[in-house]
Amino acid sequence: MHILFIEDEAKIANFVRAGLKEQGFVVDYCDNGDEGYRRALDNTYDALVLDIMVPGKDGLSILKSLRRQGHNVPILLLTARNELDDRLEGLNLGADDYIAKPFFVEELIARLHAVVRRSAGDRQNLLCVGPLKLDRIAREVTCDCQIVELTSREFNLLEYLMRSPGRVFTRTQILEHIWGYDFNPSTNVVDVCVQRIRKKIDGIGGAGWIESIRGVGYRFRDDGKQR
Amino acid sequence: MAKLRSFRIRIALLSAILAGSALVGFGLISWWLIYDAKVNRLDAELENQLIRVGRPRPLDRWHADEASLRRELGIPTNTPIAVLVIDAEGNVLYGSPQWDAGLETQNLWISRPSSLPFPSPSPGQRPPPPAPRFMTQQTASGRWRIGAVTTPFAQVAIAVSLNAVTQEMAIVRNIFVVAIPGVLLLVAGGAWAIAGSSLSSIQRLTQVVANVTANGLEQRVPIESADLEFIELIQVFNQMLERLERGFKQASRFSGDAAHELKTPLTILQGELERTLQQAEPGSEIQQSLSHLLDEVRRLSEIVRKLLLLSLADAGQMSLHRTKIDLSSLLTEMLEDIELLAPDLEVQAKIAPGLDVWGDRDLLIQVLQNLISNAIKYNLPKGWIQITANRHTQGVSIQVSNASNEIAQSDRDRIFERFYRGDPARTRQVEGLGLGLSLAREIARSHQGDLTLDPPLPGQTCFTLTLFSTTLKHRRTDLGIRRRSPYL
Repeated sequence: MHILFIEDEAKIANFVRAGLKEQGFVVDYCDNGDEGYRRALDNTYDALVLDIMVPGKDGLSILKSLRRQGHNVPILLLTARNELDDRLEGLNLGADDYIAKPFFVEELIARLHAVVRRSAGDRQNLLCVGPLKLDRIAREVTCDCQIVELTSREFNLLEYLMRSPGRVFTRTQILEHIWGYDFNPSTNVVDVCVQRIRKKIDGIGGAGWIESIRGVGYRFRDDGKQR
Repeated sequence: MAKLRSFRIRIALLSAILAGSALVGFGLISWWLIYDAKVNRLDAELENQLIRVGRPRPLDRWHADEASLRRELGIPTNTPIAVLVIDAEGNVLYGSPQWDAGLETQNLWISRPSSLPFPSPSPGQRPPPPAPRFMTQQTASGRWRIGAVTTPFAQVAIAVSLNAVTQEMAIVRNIFVVAIPGVLLLVAGGAWAIAGSSLSSIQRLTQVVANVTANGLEQRVPIESADLEFIELIQVFNQMLERLERGFKQASRFSGDAAHELKTPLTILQGELERTLQQAEPGSEIQQSLSHLLDEVRRLSEIVRKLLLLSLADAGQMSLHRTKIDLSSLLTEMLEDIELLAPDLEVQAKIAPGLDVWGDRDLLIQVLQNLISNAIKYNLPKGWIQITANRHTQGVSIQVSNASNEIAQSDRDRIFERFYRGDPARTRQVEGLGLGLSLAREIARSHQGDLTLDPPLPGQTCFTLTLFSTTLKHRRTDLGIRRRSPYL
């Protein structure tokens, strides 16, 4: 997948590019808005990742100009400013999604996949890793063709882990993503929830797919195949 | 004496006291002048009579003289008159039967007429009339005015009772006693009214100022329609508002800027940490410490995020992305969490179905999570949590209560303050930032609702989140391009 990434902060650009490349993205990077806008007009990218605050033409102006000229390339905004205002303005101007700094690359990748899928009209919302199949639309999980009954939190957690097999998530990261911001990070709610999911899938061939990483958190076992 | 708090009452009292003392002084003086004038007039009459009476005459004439005296003096018949005549040897020539034995005349007569060195009357020249002397005396029968004269022939004293004068003066006094309090009441009432009318312009000013402060710090009190006397006050107030606004904006811009500036390094830190964490050997020590670092970075980001939201709320720029939210199902989902988060707690829930509100989903979820997580954090061992959600006429109210120790009054007052976390010794072991409640209330208020701590009940704490009907019906036009906040 070919991505244009416009971001002036070199250090942010570095790890984002590294993360994207690991996942098989081809990333064009530029550090100012004017050049970024030119490239966006010239080339056909699968998606754009725009930082709102860049020198030259800022992210929102690029977004506005592109949409005005009829480009409907999926655009994902990066925002470090007032999240809410930017989110609203960006979405109103025609951005497909936004992500607030500080963010996890994994989250960015998931969102990128989502916007590209959406813009391609690809309604395939099936995540398949190992014996597990997760349908995002039907919110249904099957393990070796047997339906697994999950609560909404359990479903979200499993989806979160399955989205990036092999990637390690800390408990806080999981807690924040699934439960929100204000819960006490020292609770064992993540462990309890993972135990419950394991109990439900273990008997039907899912044993060992959610791995505990000692002192860190959890990851979904990577079976080596690319999604 | 306790200081009187009311300006109006003070003014009225002060005017009454001032007018009262003036009136009383004036009354006393005029009373005295009237009395003096009456006595003087009596004295003048007496003098005439004394001179007339003092001439030598036969003894039996005294009686007749006394009878005519009353007419000559112009004294009403009911006023007692007495006459005493003594010859040069001190023998009483005539004494009225009414003569009060208590009347003392010795001081009035100059001395024995015999001892007086009367100049021999030169021929053709009348001797000067002897000067009478006057005195007021109090006896058992009342007050008497005595006039006395010493002539070469006799010593004569005429006493006139002052009872009539005293009675007249009593009437004058009574008039004063009635009139002065009446006038004082009028003065006090007038002063009260005047003070009221001058205060009414201050009240109008207060109203204007109250409106201004309610509408926001950027408002100013209009100066055009103000009374001349208040212009300076208004100017001072406006200057104060300006300083306040500047300081407030600076503070809020500072935290906004700081939060924004912190985000870039935090993003880098988090990104690099995460990348290294993924590359580290699973479960290795380095990965574990990286994960701890990552958690701390997340915590820092959380503080920054909340500070930014708070600074936006302070600047009145917290904008909401309102959608229809089903609070009932949201709360039901959260109940599921409580069971996971705190399996020891007893959970009671009474959630009315179909509680829809227009609101910012992310922010309202944050408020509810904050309330629930507080209820868990500050619960007692083996405690309970109760959540009730109801629709009422004005909107929706959600109550989250939990078993807890008593919250001290000082803590209750400050519980919504930023970074306030109650007794440090008691709450240190509980994770938290002290920003949650403050932010939750700002979010509730930006939804035209409120978040309050209910009055204390023994053994429990209860917060009430109210979202008013404007939240339900009033749908702000969040579409369209928003003017960017000047500093973000």
